[in-house]
Amino acid sequence: MAPSSNKSGSLVFGAALALRLALFEFPTLANMLGNQVEISTPVTSFKRLSEGVFLFRNGVPPYDGGVFHQAPLLLGLFYPIISSPLLVKLLYTLSDLAIGYMLLQITALKDKALKESKIREYGNKLEAPGVTGLTVATLYLFNPYTIVSCIGRSTILFSNMAVVAGIWMGMKGDRGLAMFSIAVAGYLSLYPVMLAIPVMIMLTDSIQDAEAKKRTILRCSAFFLASLSSIFLLSFVLTNSWDFVRSVYGTILAVSDLTPNLGLFWYFFIEMFDQFRSFFLIVFQIHVFIFAVPISIKLRKYPLFICFLLSTVMGTFKGYPSVDMRYSFLIVNLFLYSSFLAPIFWYLWVYVGSGNANFFYAIGLVYGIGEIILMIDTTFALLRRDFEATSPPDAADGSGWDREVLQK
Amino acid sequence: MTAGGVPYGSESSAVKLKQKWHGPLANLVEDLCKVNKMRTTPACVLLITGALLALSSSSSVAASASASASSDQQYVYSSREPIPIAKAPEAFHEELVLKPMNDGSVYSHFQFTTHIGTMMDEDRFDGASSNLFAHYNLFPRSIGQILHSFEVEELHLTFTQGRWQYGDWGYPLAPSAGTGVELWAWLSDDKRQTDANWKALTNTLSGLFCASLNFIDKTITVEPKMSFRNEGPYNVHAASPDNRDNSTAPPRKLRYGSLPHENVCTENLTPWIKLLPCKSKAGIASLLKSHKLFDSRFYSMAIHVRPVCEDELCRVRSLELVQTITTVFDVARHDGSFDWSISGLFERDIEHACPLATTSKVILQLPHMLEPYQYDFNPKPPQGTYFEGTEDNKVEIAVYDLIQSTKESSPFQLAMTWRDAKNRAIRQSRPGIVAHRYFTGYGQERGGLSIEIHNNNWEQIDILYMDTLPWYLKLYLHTFNLQLHGEPFEDKHGEIVKKMLYQPAVDRARPAVLEMAVTMPPKSLIKFSISFDKVFLKYTEHPPDANRGFDVGCAVITANLPRHRGQIGRGGLDHLRVYQDRESSLVKNKRLVESESSGQGDQDEDLAMDQIRVYTETLLVSLPTPDFSMPYNVITLTCTVIALFFGSMFNLMTRNFEVVVPPADKKAKGKEVKK
Repeated sequence: MAPSSNKSGSLVFGAALALRLALFEFPTLANMLGNQVEISTPVTSFKRLSEGVFLFRNGVPPYDGGVFHQAPLLLGLFYPIISSPLLVKLLYTLSDLAIGYMLLQITALKDKALKESKIREYGNKLEAPGVTGLTVATLYLFNPYTIVSCIGRSTILFSNMAVVAGIWMGMKGDRGLAMFSIAVAGYLSLYPVMLAIPVMIMLTDSIQDAEAKKRTILRCSAFFLASLSSIFLLSFVLTNSWDFVRSVYGTILAVSDLTPNLGLFWYFFIEMFDQFRSFFLIVFQIHVFIFAVPISIKLRKYPLFICFLLSTVMGTFKGYPSVDMRYSFLIVNLFLYSSFLAPIFWYLWVYVGSGNANFFYAIGLVYGIGEIILMIDTTFALLRRDFEATSPPDAADGSGWDREVLQK
Repeated sequence: MTAGGVPYGSESSAVKLKQKWHGPLANLVEDLCKVNKMRTTPACVLLITGALLALSSSSSVAASASASASSDQQYVYSSREPIPIAKAPEAFHEELVLKPMNDGSVYSHFQFTTHIGTMMDEDRFDGASSNLFAHYNLFPRSIGQILHSFEVEELHLTFTQGRWQYGDWGYPLAPSAGTGVELWAWLSDDKRQTDANWKALTNTLSGLFCASLNFIDKTITVEPKMSFRNEGPYNVHAASPDNRDNSTAPPRKLRYGSLPHENVCTENLTPWIKLLPCKSKAGIASLLKSHKLFDSRFYSMAIHVRPVCEDELCRVRSLELVQTITTVFDVARHDGSFDWSISGLFERDIEHACPLATTSKVILQLPHMLEPYQYDFNPKPPQGTYFEGTEDNKVEIAVYDLIQSTKESSPFQLAMTWRDAKNRAIRQSRPGIVAHRYFTGYGQERGGLSIEIHNNNWEQIDILYMDTLPWYLKLYLHTFNLQLHGEPFEDKHGEIVKKMLYQPAVDRARPAVLEMAVTMPPKSLIKFSISFDKVFLKYTEHPPDANRGFDVGCAVITANLPRHRGQIGRGGLDHLRVYQDRESSLVKNKRLVESESSGQGDQDEDLAMDQIRVYTETLLVSLPTPDFSMPYNVITLTCTVIALFFGSMFNLMTRNFEVVVPPADKKAKGKEVKK
């Protein structure tokens, strides 16, 4: 079993590597994808990153302007390598492969944990085995969204990598690295800060003693804050000013750059009346963050699912979403529909002038609805499964698996 | 006596009254109040108002009608220590330059120069806190008050309509020729009030000139670091290395803003004319008739205020107000004939010179012909024409002194006729530096900007390039590239771009500024290009005619061109230089005398440089527009989607599953029901 899976694993990763490198060989394709609004947003665009690095290199403070809104550590990361396209290519490809590998590991860990809990919950009754890690990795690595995002050199990749690493480490039980990874993810694109909660749940899951649990949580939070502040300090040292805080997080929160994307915010705030703009901005941003706590309480048994749900919430409702969604399986029709029509409608509006902004907005809406339905359905399914698991049908009250269930 | 409405010949009394009369007047009123035991405030107010009214009425009326007022002033001045008043020059000069162009257009340049003197014993003159503006004689009071209240040291405001054709016309005499409105000012920075003062300045000028200058806000205003230095010898002194360390010099700040989409019309001209001492009642200004002026290919009017030196050592300083109007009339439009006359161009004649003017001249620059005797003009100047400039730059000039010529009762007239309408061999003017700027790319998502600069000189020229781009074009400086003669040029050692200053734009807060010091090789064509993204604006940020697009103001090139070279606009720059060298008259009388004996002066002239500014085209950029009829739909739809999620999620989070005990008659069908 093991050698064959190793073989097919290396095959998958080799193929993914080859595919990416091959696609990178077409610079026009990379540039075209990098310019596509569905892929690169104002806070993840590689073009803007290049501009930031260029300004930084030439002594112009990069955050003292309206173009560059990405974290200073990305600046530091790309500063030495941006002049070499090969290194940039390799960095993106390898990071993407690393995410695939980590997903594989996560699935493996989950399977192991699941087996234990299944044994605990159902006795020896076995469910059909879930998808294997390799399948997940394959799904990720050959997901067209992932590929175009990688080829388009969107910097959301690094944020995703940090998130996935955080979850992986969380499942492995490595407190330090897990918290650090989440801190990096939060630092890179703010919203993943929420994931600190489910990862903490993962870390404390196995601890039974309430006191010890509390202590672990405290220690984890302290470590989280410490790593966050040290990253910020490092950024300050790098750019020698705190301007980046306003430029990076201010832009994310205030949605000041209204370049269209697949989200719901841009057109809303373009069309919003001036006097209500800040009100809706606050409401919408709170709306993103507000789910972290209730979801975590309700679904505390399933921290991985919380991660999925929160990531999708972020992906749908953040200011600048793009197609690179971590766990989005296709709600096939809706997503295909939006994926194909979005560039067409964009072209119609912006270049030909025969369509208008509403066309593209409608596609964004469809995409948003698709994700929302996905989230709701999966949550519902999970809760229902949970219910069935905790109160299995009892022969005593005469109900079978087909009993009627109410949500109260 | 004060209101700027002093008519003729009251200069001597005006000089006497140069002192601060505000203080003494207040004292006087206070004294009077005490003496008359008028303790009630209204009475005092009444008295003050009365005194002010008396003072502000024009002196001719005041002198004859209110003897009591003048005796009051006598009292004021006798009660003070006598202060030595330096002989401060106070003068008004008017000039009109007419110049037939190669394409048959006639170029006319009106220039009105007013000086207001300062005290010789003053340590420094900063334009604002000095007691200069205690009294107004020839200087317009409205401008004086603006300078005084907003601590403006130097002010340049230009309204332009149409585009100056550098290729055909050479360089204009007026220093600014960018389409739209251009305003720049040096402000005092004593109390760190610069931005507040600038805002107030733009708003006040907006009211004064009936223009939309108040739209020059922080998203338009820039502070150039290399271009738009202080003008005039006084400022040159101030900027010289000796004086730079002088800590007593007040800190100054430059502010620059332009509105490329501003239309210029009669309502801007009328307040401009009101600033002149003779208005348009007499002198050259009587030619300013708006329906003729605006029916032209190019129209530009400006006011320039700057401190200048009156002597070599800059002991005596004064404030100079230069008002210019520049037009290019298309004479050949109707019948192809190049013939013109003053009365034909302006539909008026000059009856007599402005009585307040120290000098009043009409200058005709004769076209530079390849063959002689092709044209004729009438009348000939009494002292004959003379040549100015050297070598290629030589130009024949006819000067008419209006003060002399209009004494002889008949109005001044001038006409030019051409012998052969078909065959005119006028020498082409070849401007030294010409620049063009244009957009590249298509679509409303991104684009590129290209700037082409030609150096037609045989020598290397240093230029300063300044471009201000609005924030809604997001520039990518890393895409900047340089071409020399159409070939990509790697400027690794800074051979061409010596220095580059870049201020990135901030959304809704400030524009992007690109300033470069460039060395142009001899006979070269340099092309810069840079790409940008277009920003998606909120629907309220679009103008009412959203699909027309947004105007992007001109780029400005400041260049020092060698004066002895002939290609600089056929003598035009000589006048520009004269203007810059702070000579009241465009053509100095002294020059007239010395013109025959060209000695040392020409040696200097060979080395001398003329500073000119070249303005590129303004551009129109169309930004992607949202659907302006959609706000309600978008708000409802988006909120629906968000509510859909929130509601369902809330449902899932707050409710638990429960088994329904099936009623006996209705067996469960294995279906979940949500309540």
